[in-house]
Amino acid sequence: MNSVANLFSRVLTLGTILISAIALIGSLIGFFAFGSRGVLSALIGAGMAAIFVSLTAGSVWIGSKLSLAGFFGVVLGGWLVKLLSFLVLVVLLRKNSDIVGGVIFFTLVAAVLGSLAVDAWVFTRSRIPLISSD
Amino acid sequence: MDATNIAALSGNLAVIGYGLAAVGPGIGVGLVVSKTIESIARQPELAARLQVTMWLGIAFTEALALIGLATPFIFV
Repeated sequence: MNSVANLFSRVLTLGTILISAIALIGSLIGFFAFGSRGVLSALIGAGMAAIFVSLTAGSVWIGSKLSLAGFFGVVLGGWLVKLLSFLVLVVLLRKNSDIVGGVIFFTLVAAVLGSLAVDAWVFTRSRIPLISSD
Repeated sequence: MDATNIAALSGNLAVIGYGLAAVGPGIGVGLVVSKTIESIARQPELAARLQVTMWLGIAFTEALALIGLATPFIFV
């Protein structure tokens, strides 16, 4: 495993642990505030954040194995697909009466900001050689 | 004098907000990518380092898009 792959696997592992912790805390708060609807909302919010944040890291990881054009195609195409599917999910979930919008929003924001902190922390501690071993 | 409507708008104002939430980060990601391409063209040997740095830039920029697009859960 080269250093870039190592970096992304560490980002994905730490990000998943952090988002799981946020899902747990959000579920507890949601349960005490809104009952089972709050738990479901916190899990949906954390799940959305986990999928969308890890897709960014995953697309850069997969793209780095391709040519330069392939890299930008995968990263930018992935970004476009991700935002469109996010919009569709929001439209579908917003009308659902089994969820609590506030819990989804705040879990999502906490998970996104937390994963950004993980990304920045892992990146600043990483050592990427100037010449790739690939 | 009676007020007269000469134009009427219908629909949800929040749609403009969703559009803005996509436009801002779209411009941001475009700038990050264009500068990365420029940098790789100047110094191809730094491509691996620049790609990872670009990913961090995109992650921060798209966080704005995700938060902006999630606002329908609380504002509407």
